[in-house]
Amino acid sequence: MIAWNILSDALFAALAGIGFGAISDPPMRAFRFIAILAAAGHSFRYILMTFAGVEISLGSLAGALLIGFGGLWLGKIARTPMTVLCIPALLPMIPGKFAYNMVFSLIMFLQNMESSSQRALYMDMFFSNMVITGSVVFVLAAGVTVPMLIFPKRAFSLTRKKR
Amino acid sequence: MANKFLSDLLRQKQMDSPKEILSEVGDFISEYSSHLMGCGVHTSRVIRNAKRIGNSFGYAVTLSVFQKNIILTVADLEKHEHYNKVIDIPELPISFEHNSELSTLSWETYDRHLSLSALRRKYLRILRRPAIHPFFVLIMTGLANASFCRLFGGDWLSMGIVLTSTITGMFLKQQMSKEGINPYLVFIVSAFVASLCSSSSLIFDTTSEIALATSVLYLVPGVPLINGVIDIVEGYILTGCARLIHALLLILCIATGLSFTLLLVKDNLL
Amino acid sequence: MEIFWKTIGLYNSSTWVYQIFIIIAGILSTIFLIKKNGRRSAIAMKLFLIVLYLWISVVYFYIYCEERNYNELMSLFWGVLAATWICDLIIGYTTFERSSSHSKLAYLLLIMPFLYPVTSLLQGKSFPEITSPVMPCSAVVFTLGILQLFSKKINLFLILLLCHWSLIGLSKTYFFNIPEDFLMAGTTIPAIYLFFKQYFLSNPLTVTKPQIKYMDWMLIGICTAVGAILIAALIITLSQS
Repeated sequence: MIAWNILSDALFAALAGIGFGAISDPPMRAFRFIAILAAAGHSFRYILMTFAGVEISLGSLAGALLIGFGGLWLGKIARTPMTVLCIPALLPMIPGKFAYNMVFSLIMFLQNMESSSQRALYMDMFFSNMVITGSVVFVLAAGVTVPMLIFPKRAFSLTRKKR
Repeated sequence: MANKFLSDLLRQKQMDSPKEILSEVGDFISEYSSHLMGCGVHTSRVIRNAKRIGNSFGYAVTLSVFQKNIILTVADLEKHEHYNKVIDIPELPISFEHNSELSTLSWETYDRHLSLSALRRKYLRILRRPAIHPFFVLIMTGLANASFCRLFGGDWLSMGIVLTSTITGMFLKQQMSKEGINPYLVFIVSAFVASLCSSSSLIFDTTSEIALATSVLYLVPGVPLINGVIDIVEGYILTGCARLIHALLLILCIATGLSFTLLLVKDNLL
Repeated sequence: MEIFWKTIGLYNSSTWVYQIFIIIAGILSTIFLIKKNGRRSAIAMKLFLIVLYLWISVVYFYIYCEERNYNELMSLFWGVLAATWICDLIIGYTTFERSSSHSKLAYLLLIMPFLYPVTSLLQGKSFPEITSPVMPCSAVVFTLGILQLFSKKINLFLILLLCHWSLIGLSKTYFFNIPEDFLMAGTTIPAIYLFFKQYFLSNPLTVTKPQIKYMDWMLIGICTAVGAILIAALIITLSQS
């Protein structure tokens, strides 16, 4: 059952990665690498969050780092820049549920200005969701750039053909 | 060893032969770099690629990149000649294919010392390749958003509803972008339509909140968001901030479109 | 479930006179469009569709379905559909130009609204608690039929909205046990396939990324998958009842 959960998580993450990649017109050969990276990153976060009790931002950082290093490694094989593989692979990790709750609580806050208890409740909800969404998105973007900063030489010559 | 000798010989020969005309090389580099900036490549890559191409012709290239323009100087250090140009960055759809193929082209120019005419021919051939088919994008986006819904814990019915609402919204976005309507407007309208369609999941006993939340996520501007962070980290803070602000505005537009729907259905959600 | 049929009964018994007028108008504008295909008949057809959609939005959903939950939402959805047709009328996007292919499916779709009451009667229901030709599902089928018959230039956005509706209809059949709507869902699938193929993949010689044939297979695959789900749902519903 656990294996099935992880597998289905990876599968759907891969599908999501491919789909979000398709919007940005990648070369056809990149799709399979995007799928691998998206599946690896998201299922890694899933494992960390469900079995190791890691919270979402730390888990996202770990997933983003995995995707970043994976992109550095697979980019040489696919002969594409790192960003081509990493950006679509990161998108399935965007915290959409929190972002939605943020918008929802903002609207409810504006709609319930009269009652102070409701107002405090929705403001609290808004801020906590905003902090989670913002930090996860930041951590995702930062995590994927770290490999690029550690190995700049390799990151810059991924598209160079071997001679 | 022999390989290195050969390449040295080649470089020597390149040096001996008359240099390509400065202004023509400069024109090509300006076109090339503005195209790269337009289709969503992060700044440091654009600058590196442009310098690499200039190097292979024996010229020093200096760029300063802004959000809408590039200022470019190509210098012939031996003859003390300069070529200056300010170029507008065109607004192109994001294309990873151009990103990777044009980067490959810059390495090829550097490694094989392509002549300017060969370089230009290859460049045009890359630009003329067909972009990804909108129908493929439409279906894949729908499937992606549906599986996204699954990742957040939605059930099969929500997935189906998200699939069709995403396809509807994405089609609207494609058509409106083709008409050249303001992108912010496009984002608001397509977020509204997609979330309105997915709000029909409220009728059923299903995970309708998750369906509503995921239905607009196909619009998230991932490329400017992550490129912005990369730019800032690599020191191009100006363009990085511009990209982040652009991404933030688009996200605000998505939120606006979503909140129209939420205002309509909020009584049913509590 | 009971509320569902109760609202339908109320709707039918109090509006059947107007419904007959709408049906006659629909038949007349269809004949006008088929016999004298031109700008005027196209405008007449669009006007009829706008009236029909507004009728469903306001009279059916907003007034008579008040007892159901979320009727405002449905009313809004049909309002959006009507607004799409109004935009179409102003811009003149859909031209209703005749296309020769696939007219059999189109005629089947056009007859479908009249099959709805028949299937209801066959199931042993009696007036007024039966499905009638002036209901959302029949309107969807009718629109798809008209567009299939005149599919030279179509408004795909509208079709996608209708497709979304028929998916909801399909899940409604499953949840509320209304086998009539399987008719709609069953005929929508081939229509959707043809619409997409005509709109996007009509020129097989152009070089695209990925190749046309793969995208065609993808479309067939998705349509087959939806069809399989439909058949499974039908079997489950029938075995329950």
